[in-house]
Amino acid sequence: MTSVRTSSLERRPVIEFTGVRKNLGGRQILDSLSFDVRQGETFVIIGYSGTGKSVTLRHLVGLMRPDEGSIRVDGEEITTMTPHELEIMRRKFGVLFQSGALIAWLTILENVELPLIEHSRMSKKRRAEVVQEKLEVVNLWDDRNKYPAEISGGMRKRAGLARAIALDPRLVLYDEPTSGLDPVIANEIGKLINALRDKLKMTQVVVTHDMESAYDIANRIGMFYQGKMIQIGTPDEIRASEIPEVQHFISGGKRGAVSKRSVTAILTGRAPGMQSARTPETQDVAAAGQDPPNQTQPAAPATQEGTAR
Amino acid sequence: MKKIPFLNLFIGAGYTLVLLLESLGMIGHLWRRRRAILTQMHVIGTQSVPIASFFMLLVGMVFALQTGIEFARFGQTNLVALVIVSAMVRELGPWMTAFVLIARVGSSMAAEIGTMKVSEEIDALEVMSVNPISYVIFPRVIGYAVMGPMVTIIGTCVGIAGGALVAYVQLGVTLDNFLRFAERGAAPLDIYWGLLKSFVFSLVAVAVACSNGMRTQGGAVGVGRASRNTVVIALTMTVFFNYLLTSFYRMVKTFISGLA
Repeated sequence: MTSVRTSSLERRPVIEFTGVRKNLGGRQILDSLSFDVRQGETFVIIGYSGTGKSVTLRHLVGLMRPDEGSIRVDGEEITTMTPHELEIMRRKFGVLFQSGALIAWLTILENVELPLIEHSRMSKKRRAEVVQEKLEVVNLWDDRNKYPAEISGGMRKRAGLARAIALDPRLVLYDEPTSGLDPVIANEIGKLINALRDKLKMTQVVVTHDMESAYDIANRIGMFYQGKMIQIGTPDEIRASEIPEVQHFISGGKRGAVSKRSVTAILTGRAPGMQSARTPETQDVAAAGQDPPNQTQPAAPATQEGTAR
Repeated sequence: MKKIPFLNLFIGAGYTLVLLLESLGMIGHLWRRRRAILTQMHVIGTQSVPIASFFMLLVGMVFALQTGIEFARFGQTNLVALVIVSAMVRELGPWMTAFVLIARVGSSMAAEIGTMKVSEEIDALEVMSVNPISYVIFPRVIGYAVMGPMVTIIGTCVGIAGGALVAYVQLGVTLDNFLRFAERGAAPLDIYWGLLKSFVFSLVAVAVACSNGMRTQGGAVGVGRASRNTVVIALTMTVFFNYLLTSFYRMVKTFISGLA
């Protein structure tokens, strides 16, 4: 299922998830989730909203601890780290949160400066230079003295990105970097992400459900469904996927299928990736997720269409 | 799983206590967070002075008027001064000011921290390895603990002044008489005890506000809930602690007079 041939695969893995399980409020959010992210690649996690993609990211930075399984960053097990060790480990990461998560009472400039003040012994002059450099990367230098409430959502995300890369992290994580943005700005963010990979050699993990940008930025895409990765592959491989769930997701529900029960779930307002550990029926759906049920639409013609574009 | 009664209450109380102790443990960050602390002192203290003063002024005036009517029946209107001062210093001052501060500062503090929590700002701080307790909670705790008693001093003085005003204008007590009787209203120990009370109330209020803020979940509704819970819990706790402290003070006083 995960036949992948990319140059990035030959590089060493930086992030390794092995059999990670997490139960939240009776829902099995992560169900033996395993994948790895290689040095210098952009790994995009796609999947239905509200199914646990963000939870995966939160595990990665130690904001949540798994019930079972191992998470390694640079070969170091982070699930058993002390708060102090976590603090040191987190300095490898820059994280862009969904809403930017800028501190409301600081200006854009002060927000970007915050990690520098807290964590580096830079001189004031050097600090000002770094802040200017980062703000120019995201094209916000002219708006540096505005407060987060005074700028648009896209600007907030860009400012959040500038803050995330302020300390030149080797790993950058993005939670829905393009959600809520118009296509032009979404595209700009995508270009920024690509620039960080190509020019600064950063390893990046992007959680999104915006397929357009996923194809643009990904070296590899992992489809997250019901707590595990049901397919990992290059954008082309994902487009050509024969797994109905993947086709269903990437085509916006026009092709493929997620099994009948899950369709009912969509109609009744529950995302298909959601699953409750309490009801046995939904667990059947979980089992169906692994090997596609026969009654679903054949995905072959759809696949050709996908590869053609 | 069996539902344990009051489980959430205990969890909440425990979390609040731990949060308070943890933030007090950050005392070494005093210099590093000086700007944030000054900002908080301004918001919590200085900006609360007008409303607290106005509130206490009217409390003092009404209190003087009500007791004055009764004392006038016995021709003892001068005693108004004594009653006002002793009540203001020991009870009304610390207590009513605490109420004003909880309503004005506590609720907004919970909402502010709650909003930070639901908009992932607290998570962002943690991911940047900036300790949210040091960065967000500590300056507020210090600001509140310092400024609560300060506002109480001002409020109490204004309250007494309000009483004096009513005593002079409506009850015909001269300022001279008022001051003479006022002196007997409160011993130094009473004043210190009043300040201690307001310090305790401040810690209670700020701990409840921060803990409710930090435990906020579920968007705007959650923020509203955090703010509402803060006011309800902090007021209840204040009344409760007030009773404890007053009882304890009586014991201390009896003990001291027993020694003499």
